[in-house]
Parts: sequence; structure tokens; C-alpha cells
Amino acid sequence: MTGDKTVNAYQGRVVIGVIGDDIHIVGNRIMQLALEESGFQVFNLRARNRPQEFCQAALEVNAHAVFVSSLNGEGEYWCADVRSLFREAGLEHVLLYVGGNIVVGERSKDEVIRLFKQFGFDRVYHQEPDISVAIADLQEDLKHGAA
Amino acid sequence: MARPSAQAQLTNIEKYRSQVLSHPLVQGISPDEVRDHLAHVPRERFPRVAYANRGPDPCIQPRGGVPLFETQYELTRQLSQAGADFIPLTIDSYTRHNQYETATQLLHRSEEEGKSYLNGYPLISHGYELTRQLYCGLEKPVSLRHGTPDARLLAEVALASGIAEIEGGAICYCLPYSEGFPLDRCLLYWQYVDRLCAVNSTEDRPIHRESFGPLTATLVPPSIAVAVEIIEALLAAEQGVTSFAVSFGQTGSIIQDVATATVLRKLTRYYLDEFGFGPVRSYLVYHQWMGQFPAERERAAALIACSSLISSLIAADKVVVKTIDEALGVPRPEINAEACDTVQYVLRTFRSAQTVTSPMIEREMALIESEVKSILNAIFEISGSVFWESVFRAFQLGYLDVPFAPHADNANKLLSVRDGNGSIRIADPGGVPISNEDAHLEKELVEGRGDRADKTYRQMLADIRVMV
Repeated sequence: MTGDKTVNAYQGRVVIGVIGDDIHIVGNRIMQLALEESGFQVFNLRARNRPQEFCQAALEVNAHAVFVSSLNGEGEYWCADVRSLFREAGLEHVLLYVGGNIVVGERSKDEVIRLFKQFGFDRVYHQEPDISVAIADLQEDLKHGAA
Repeated sequence: MARPSAQAQLTNIEKYRSQVLSHPLVQGISPDEVRDHLAHVPRERFPRVAYANRGPDPCIQPRGGVPLFETQYELTRQLSQAGADFIPLTIDSYTRHNQYETATQLLHRSEEEGKSYLNGYPLISHGYELTRQLYCGLEKPVSLRHGTPDARLLAEVALASGIAEIEGGAICYCLPYSEGFPLDRCLLYWQYVDRLCAVNSTEDRPIHRESFGPLTATLVPPSIAVAVEIIEALLAAEQGVTSFAVSFGQTGSIIQDVATATVLRKLTRYYLDEFGFGPVRSYLVYHQWMGQFPAERERAAALIACSSLISSLIAADKVVVKTIDEALGVPRPEINAEACDTVQYVLRTFRSAQTVTSPMIEREMALIESEVKSILNAIFEISGSVFWESVFRAFQLGYLDVPFAPHADNANKLLSVRDGNGSIRIADPGGVPISNEDAHLEKELVEGRGDRADKTYRQMLADIRVMV
């Protein structure tokens, strides 16, 4: 656990949460632990969040990245406007990642990734079982000064 | 310091009831008529009678709820014929969240299109008069299965329908099922439900309450589940409930299942007696694996068979069964009926004469008992004038912490993983007040596992998916 580290010792600040009315929380909790174990400071909004809540939290904690997740497929509906909200709030620089089971029905991974990239997400993980992929990507993105 | 006490009983339930029963959807329910109806349904509909009459095997209860009356009627007959000893009535999720209008609209749509737009039976939309007809001639208990934080209206309609078993409770139907329903309100609303059950009970026809011990069914340490179950039994007893079942979900370790059952049964009795609720009868219910199920039907069948055997080993009063299609969603009625048959077959074939024990089980029992007592004693010591307030405060203080509960009032500080024999261990108790010795032993047992992953989160993921 990273509770005793000073703020400077963290690799970065990440806001995470489940979007929409989705109450699937197991993955969210595991994601928090995984990020913390990799040295990130995590601000977990947990279940049932609207896009505005991610934006407000990112502003409040000066986040480097925001991880939006959805398991019941509500993601497509709620995620369309997330990037524009962040832009309006002056948070263009914040990395936006989305993952889980983010659309309803069977669709190809490529199609889903393209759709969410159009929405303005930097990284998209649709039905990706391994959390460490996203964490490695985050470390890479932050190294390049994306945030 | 607030200990459970009969003094906490709601004295003006009739006043509250007239408010609740003024809801337009339940016009026509008369408390006197409901009591009269309950006095005339067959005695076998009352769980205490069913438990008293059961043979050497646990009673079997499947799950099941569909939107249409006719389909629910068929399902009820099918399950009963297949050997179910308790008949389920599972409620749809809109009704669970008090969205009765949406439930009614989707019921009409389901009726018009012949398709299911609800994941259960919308009891309030159907009403008690029609629902009574579901159970004409049925001589088995019906169990109301839901997940409703505010179940006052639902419980009224259930009792009016002649249903004598109400599952749920302020903790078990709030923490795992809701993200934001205020826990203190939930505790008060369940006082109402408990009191309602009590005032509709008679000596030989008690309305039975059952708690839902699996909680999130995701790495919940037995001591947390046992503490919650005992608290809910005590809260119900305060309101005058005299027939109550505590329950827990298959842990994934046979050793831990046997130990949990023994401690849960023993301590429930101990605390009921301790606080002056000696006349309350308590029963033990076992839930077959509530976590992620294997998608392969053969494996699912094997898992169901094993947990049936465990329900017999622990001498459960009732076992709540799963089906081979669990991983695929809500099962078809035939599959549900098949499940009853499989479970019955295992119970009949591998009847266990007495509970097993071993040094490992003894050690596990001692650990769970010690942890539960530490947790409950700490809660009894919390300042406050009534017990439910202490329970509410216990969550704010993190004394009770249910892993993976979505609820905003849950501390989420406790970390749990499995040890070498698959038992759920407390890797970090967070704010849960177990003794240093117990915390140390838990850690030692975790470290005894040879194949541990490098990171806790990887271990937890693997441990959650243990049956897949």
C-alpha cells in the first residue's frame, strides 16, 4: 500500500470511476489497488458517475489522468461528451482512458477503439482482461510529458 | 453504549402503516383482512413448519421470478414438482428501487409483446389479490427474494399475498445492492419490515425473516459475514420477530465453510440468548457459490454437486441452489427444475450422518469466533442510545467493512485474499477491530501460500475468479 508516501513520491494523480448508472464495482476496486501498487495516487469516484463528476474531480485534484470505466455497456452513451467537457474546463492536457465492456452488443474491438478515439479518449481498452496493459501505457504516456 | 434490547421495539407501527398503506398502488389492503388471510393459508406455508417437518436433508430452494403472472404460475408449479421445498418469488429490479411506475409500464409491454422486459416479478404492479392466486393449493413456503433498501410497501404486499418468508435486512440489502441509499434510513425502514412481520405473526404461524449472508459474494471474510448476520438477527429480534434464518455463501474452501457454519449457528444462538431473545428460533441457510460461475455446463454441474454436498456436511436447514446456466444469465424454468433434481440427488445419495471436524477446522472456528466477538463487542461499545445507531456508526468507523460493496458508506479499507487451501484471509483489516493476535495469524496463513502473485491486485483477481 502507498498510504505512507508523500505526494511527491507518487508517479501521478489518477481519477477513476464507473460511468452512468452502472454499479459494477469489483473491477473499479481492483483498478484502484493496481494503480496504487504501481505508485499512483488514486482518487476513486466509485460507481454511478456523470461526465461532469469526472471533470470536477480532475480539476479539484489536478489530475494527470482520468480512467473512465463501464461494464454494462453504458459507456457509449455517456462518453461522447467527456473530452469536450474537459476542454471547456481548461483540462485539455489531462489524459483520458476508457475501459471495461464499453458498448452494448457484439462489436469488433477495432470499431469500438476507433469510436472512442473519435470521442477524444487517448487510450481505449474494450474487453481487455489485463489491467497492467493500461498501467504500462499510462507510465509511458506520462514519461513523454503528455500531461 | 447501546446493546440490542426489546425496548427498541417500534410502538406506533399502526400509525406508520396507515401512512405506507395510503400509497395509491396498494389501495384495498386492510391489516385485519391480511391477518385473517395469513391465519387461513395452509400451515405448511410457514417456514418454521417446513423446517420442523424436514427430513435428514436440507430444504431446497431455487431462484426464480418472471414478469408475467401466467409464467410465474407455471414456474411455481414446475419448481414445486421438481422437488423445491421453498418456492422463490424474485422481484424485478425496478420494484426493488421503488420505481413502481416503470415496473408497471414494462410489465404492460411484456404482456403485449410476450417478451420479458423485467428481470423479476413486479409484485406491487400485480397486486396482492392476483398474487394470492399464484399460490392457491400450495403447501410449501414462498420466499420473497429481492434486494430492496426500502421494502416497506413490498413487504406489505407480500404478506397480503400470503407470503410468509421475507428475505433481506438493513445491511445485507443496502451495502451490496445500492451505491447511495442512506444506510440510517435503511435501518429504520427495515425496523418497519421486521415489526410488520412480528405483528402479523402468531405462535404457530410466525412470519419468517431471513438475512442474506453472501453480501457481495466477493472475498468476504467469514467473520464479517457472521457479524452482519448476527446483527440482523438481533435487529429483527428487537422488533419481535421470532423465526429467523442466518445465511452465508459458499466461501470456496470446505474447511472454512464447515467452520463458518458452526460458528454462525453457535454465536447466533449465544447472542440472541444474551440479549433476552431466547424464544427466537434461528435457522441456518447455505448459498451455493455466489461468485463468478464457470461457463462450461459440466463444470457448473460439478460445482453445484460439490456445494450440495457441503450443505449436507454443515447440516444446513436450507440450501439455495444455482443452475448450470448461471454464467449465461437468468436460467430457463426447465433448467431451474433440473437443478432442484440434481441437488436432491446429491443430498439423498451422500447423506452425512454428522458434521465433520479436523484440527484445521477447529483452528478456523476459533479464529472466526474470536474475530466476530471482537467486532461485535466493539460495536456494542459505540456510544449511542439505540443499537441501530451503533450499527450505522460502525460502518462510518470502518468497524464493519464489506469487500467490494458499492455503497458510499463502506470503508473499503479491508483487504482479503485466499490462502493455500482456498480460505478467505484478511490481508489487511483496515478499521475492522480484530485483535492483533488474530490479524497476525491471518497474515501468517496468507504467507503460508507458496504460489503468491507479486502484486496484491493480481492475487485478488485470481482469487475472485477461483471457480472459473
